[in-house]
Parts: sequence; structure tokens; C-alpha cells
Amino acid sequence: MRKRRVLAGGRRWLPALVLGAACGAYAAPPSDALGWLQRAMDAARDSSYAGVFVHTNGDRISTVRVTHLNSNGDEHERIEALDGPRYEIVRRNDEMFCYYPDAKTIRLDRRVNARFFPSLFRAPAAVIAQSYDVKLGSLEHVLGYECRWIVLEPRDSERFAQRLCSETGTGLVVREKTFGLHGQMIEQYTFADLKLGPHIPRRDVKSIFEARVKQWITDAKPREEAKGVDTGWEVEKLPAGFREVTELRRTLPGRPHPVSQLIFSDGLASLSVFVEPNAAPTRTTESSSEDGTTTFFARPMGDELVTVLGEVPLATAEEVAASVGHRP
Amino acid sequence: MTQEISALMDGELEGREAEAALSACCGDEDRKRTWYLYHAIGEAMRGQAPARLAMPANVFEKLRQQATVVAPRMRLRPAAVTRVALAAAASVATVGVVGWLGSQGGNPAPVPVVASKTTDQAIQPVSSTTIVPAPALSVQEYLVAHRQIPSPDLYRPVTNTAPAVAR
Repeated sequence: MRKRRVLAGGRRWLPALVLGAACGAYAAPPSDALGWLQRAMDAARDSSYAGVFVHTNGDRISTVRVTHLNSNGDEHERIEALDGPRYEIVRRNDEMFCYYPDAKTIRLDRRVNARFFPSLFRAPAAVIAQSYDVKLGSLEHVLGYECRWIVLEPRDSERFAQRLCSETGTGLVVREKTFGLHGQMIEQYTFADLKLGPHIPRRDVKSIFEARVKQWITDAKPREEAKGVDTGWEVEKLPAGFREVTELRRTLPGRPHPVSQLIFSDGLASLSVFVEPNAAPTRTTESSSEDGTTTFFARPMGDELVTVLGEVPLATAEEVAASVGHRP
Repeated sequence: MTQEISALMDGELEGREAEAALSACCGDEDRKRTWYLYHAIGEAMRGQAPARLAMPANVFEKLRQQATVVAPRMRLRPAAVTRVALAAAASVATVGVVGWLGSQGGNPAPVPVVASKTTDQAIQPVSSTTIVPAPALSVQEYLVAHRQIPSPDLYRPVTNTAPAVAR
């Protein structure tokens, strides 16, 4: 049975949903786990902080500097990669300016599914609690701060377990761990250095690369694409708890036409479904890979190639890929 | 004893230890086979054909039993489905390498490769695994789109040169 959907319909979560009640970041710690979770979510948006975090996902490690300032309800953020090719993202709310100095290019994009630690949430705590059993864990001393573990156990095998350590004073998440189906840690974000606001200088959230290049090339196409379209595709049987965030057509390298992309989230984990022509040489076999939380599964479907990529177990990705069809 | 042979090969033993291991390595047939076997595994991992060593016949049999350790990422898959599996760097010889972006940080890390292979041979020494040539899928491209990570690949030529201002 297929359900008819309207593009801006009620089953979708708009990013605005996450911008719910903007209070409580500095309030006293709540007594219940859900309250802690919501407070952690609010703190990532409403508080000001500056630090360097280390992200370990599978075999890959990256170090990132993040500076975040909330001024009059607007988020200003600067993210800089400290390893590998240089880039920075200057973000104001959902508007992203990605500076890539080596290519002298600024890429304009709109935040659709980008995760900027410690802002990891895509839905209110109550929605996340439908898919995860949320409990409070122990207190820990991290980076000179005291933080409380929030334990999220999945209610089924469609997603991974997570733990967040929420600083007791502000609620900000200072460490996050994701565990595989056998309980092994597969991903970790952790601040290596952290200064909590409120005194974060405004200049620290502005681009430092902008002045280094005389003539930037501006690529505004990603922002256009991020507005979203009706792709004509749907996932008929979504795993419990997952909702569509948006759908759009993205330009991927080496392809003559944009690729359809449908993005789903359970509030914490997300996955993208890509549908594109199965161009010659036609792929006839299924493909999969797993590294850390990044799971990849590709499946030929008639003249199309369906690819699922997300922070979900492989079985979930396979289940979703098997259920892609034309929207009636 | 096998540990000593292994250490000897790696140049970790000195003086008397080395002498002892050396004499031991040729002392009996079992140890001689181990010596050959370790060399053969080393050769295979470096992508060379172990056959160039004059080995006792049963070494190949032992190699067949042991060599899966050089491809620790290969996963046993249900039969009848052809899959692409992550393969260890040691077995790269055959396939299109897929660059892999480093998560939110976006570092191109040296990594996983997508190899297409038939699954009834899922556990076999690398040297004899049949790799079906298939166009490599770049996981990175999809990851970049999923996470909206800045990537050189995404900086396609554009004609618009109006300055962008981030405030």
C-alpha cells in the first residue's frame, strides 16, 4: 500500500522543528533523561563555545576547530579542518559558506543534513525517544568539566546505540560515542580543548580565509539544489522511526545529470537514498561497505542504480534500498 | 619457537638469540616449513608470487589455511549474492581504489577499497581470490553529498564570479 505524500506535508520534518523552544541552556540540570537530552540539543544551538574536537570514525581521524556564537537568536559558527586539505565553513543558522582556498572557491549551501558537532540532533528529544530508550548514566570529569552521560539504547536493531556526555553547567555535549551492533565503539567525537562562552569574540566566527584570496569563485548551485524538489521516488517501507527530512537533486562529480537524493532521519541517525541511471558499464551486482558508522549499499534496480548511505547498520540500508519505488 | 622465527625474519633478534633461532629454523622439518611459510606470507602481502620460493609442497596447503589473516576486512557473505566487500590494503592489487573522505573533518584518508568478488570464494588466500573487475563506486562522492562536506570534487568549474560575502 502506498501513501500519497505532499511535498511540504505533515510527515516531513523541517529544520525549523529543531529550532523549537530556545531556552534552558543555562537552566539548572533537569532531573529526567529526556530533559537532559533536550537541554543538550538546545545548548549546541543557544550557547557560545570555542574548541577543537577530534572525530574518529572507523579508521579515519580528523581534527576540527569549531567556534560557535549565538547572538540575538542567530547562530554564527566557524568550522575549520585542521587536518588534510584546508577548508572552512562559515555558517549562519542554516546558510553555509564553504571556503576552499586551494580552489579559490566559495561554495554556498544550505544545511540539510550536515552534522556539526556538538550539534548532532535533527528532531526534538521526544521524537528521538520514540526510537531510543533514553537514560541517564554516570558523571564524568572531561576536559576539566563535569559531564553527565546520556545513554541512548535503540529500541530495535535498525540503528546504533549512542552516548552523549553533557556538560552539567550548560548542557553542551563534550563527547559522543556510537556503538556497533556488537557493542564495539565505532565512532567518537570528543573535544580536545573547549572554552565555554558566553565571551566568544565576534571576529572568531568570521572567515579567516576570505582575505587570503583576491578573487573568489562563487558556486551558488548547491544552495539552489538544497531547496529541494519532488524527485518522484519514495521509500515504501521505511524502518520504524525514520521520517523524510527532504528530497532534492544533487550534482555529483562525473555525472551528466543531477542525482535524486532522499534524506531520512530518526532524529539522530540519518541516511540518504540516491537514485540515478545505471549508466554503462551497467552494474549488475550489489555492493556494500562499512567503516565506522558509515554504511554504504548499492543495488541495481532495472535501469536505475539505488545507493543508500548513512549512519545505520547494513541491514537497515539494505532494507531501505529494497523498498525504493516510483511515487504513484 | 614460531615467534622466534617470526622475530628473526623481522630482524628483531640479536646475537645469541638470532643464532639459536637460525639453527633452530633448519633443525627439523616442521620449523623449516614454518620458515618457508612465513616468507611466503610476507611475499604474498607484498604482492609477489610466493611460488618463486622453492617450498615444500604442503606449504601451499598451509598458506591456504592461514592466508585469510592478510585480508582481515573480507566478510563472509551469504552465497548466491555477489557483493562488494571492503578489502584490506594488502589485497588492493586488483581493484579500483575509492577515496574516502574523513567524516566531518573531510580528510581524504588512505582507504577502503571496493572490491567486487564472488562469494563462494569468500574465504581464500588473497593470492588466489578471483576478483571480478567492476567499475569502482566512489563511496566518497555519496558521503560528501550526504554530509555536505566540502570536497575538492565538488568544486566544479563555475562561471559566476560574483563575490560571496559571509557575515
